[in-house]
Amino acid sequence: MNFGRWVAIYGPTYLTALGWTAVTAVGAACGALIWGCALLLIRLSAGRWGARGVDAYVQLFRNTPVLLPIYLIYFAFPMIGLPWPAVVCGGLALILQNAAYISEILRGSVNAIDRVQFDAARSIGLAPWSTFRKVVLPQVLVYSIPALGNQTVLLLKDTSLLSAISITELTMQAKLLTEQTGAAYEAFIVVALLYLLLVSGTEVLFRVTHRAVRWR
Amino acid sequence: MPPGSLALLAQGAAVSLLLAAVAIVGGTLLAVLLAALAFSRFAVVRAAYRVYVYVVRGTPLLVLALLVFYAMPALDLRTGPYIAGTLVLIVYTGALLAEVFRGGVLAIPRPQWESARSLGLPPLAMFRKIVAPLVTRYTLPPYVNVCVMTVKASSVLSIISVWELTLAAREIIERTFAVFTILGLAAAFYFVMCFGIDRLGRLFERHLALKGFAGERA
Repeated sequence: MNFGRWVAIYGPTYLTALGWTAVTAVGAACGALIWGCALLLIRLSAGRWGARGVDAYVQLFRNTPVLLPIYLIYFAFPMIGLPWPAVVCGGLALILQNAAYISEILRGSVNAIDRVQFDAARSIGLAPWSTFRKVVLPQVLVYSIPALGNQTVLLLKDTSLLSAISITELTMQAKLLTEQTGAAYEAFIVVALLYLLLVSGTEVLFRVTHRAVRWR
Repeated sequence: MPPGSLALLAQGAAVSLLLAAVAIVGGTLLAVLLAALAFSRFAVVRAAYRVYVYVVRGTPLLVLALLVFYAMPALDLRTGPYIAGTLVLIVYTGALLAEVFRGGVLAIPRPQWESARSLGLPPLAMFRKIVAPLVTRYTLPPYVNVCVMTVKASSVLSIISVWELTLAAREIIERTFAVFTILGLAAAFYFVMCFGIDRLGRLFERHLALKGFAGERA
């Protein structure tokens, strides 16, 4: 089947699936950023044991594939009386995993802040929480934009794994179309192109943001 | 714990490790070839390299795996998921490693090139005595990172029914509903493999540094 006709027939189906991919990716990216910041705060402020706990968390998620937390939450939550929809379970797994990487990215950027600023913050009487919120966090976030962009791209690609828990995002939709129509590769080529588009768009977005907000 | 599940998971882990090992070896060879293309004299070849890396890194591994899995029978290649999965993993690892090696070659200081040329080293000797040792040392940490990623990425192949650690775990869970135990064990197996590779890489790094090499930046 030629691609023009293929796209004409199945375009709307793809768009719905694209919507699911976009929604889960954006939602999970925001959640991961927030949880990543929280992990950073714990590491910086909760003493030695807090730092060790965050370290263990990061190592655990860095050395296991994302599919495991996805399956864990999807299969286990109904058993403990939390029958959440699959999208929420999958999104939560992506958040937990990516936050581990994000907290490490942010930690790298904390080291780029001049020590003098911490003394300055203390000398003008800023409380630790205000120091974190008004001095550390804004700078850390701006320094981290390129690395966060990379991480967001990885997260976006990992949303394809949610097809394993029957969420009809792009990858699942392509699989369904392939099985329904018997066309061997058309569905996946279109989806691959859509992913390339999304990934490139994300990269451009982060580059533009970085250029707009970095220190002049 | 359901009886026999530990042995099944251990077998699955062995398959995962084997898949990753094949992909790392194949991917490394492919990456050396690709990295050579990246420095080709011809703009077309360099562009082809960039397109390859862009496409492979810009699409999820799962999409590539499913594409190959479904498309191969249509091309009259009834190879089954194992061949398809291994191929895709090699293609994926190759793209990541090619970028690593390209970065390593770019990091070689200019004087090294100039002195190699002024000594009149033929291309092959230049590669063997200058480029390869330097790039090995520059790129070992990111190389190890990619190796860890490959082990984790092999779990994706469970979705195209390659029987490895993740699929073994999923099968046991669907039979016994022992979600926490089984996934915990599977995570432990992955952790040992990935963490082990990471530590091994660091050991090797120290070993290379100890041998005292003129290329060390220290």
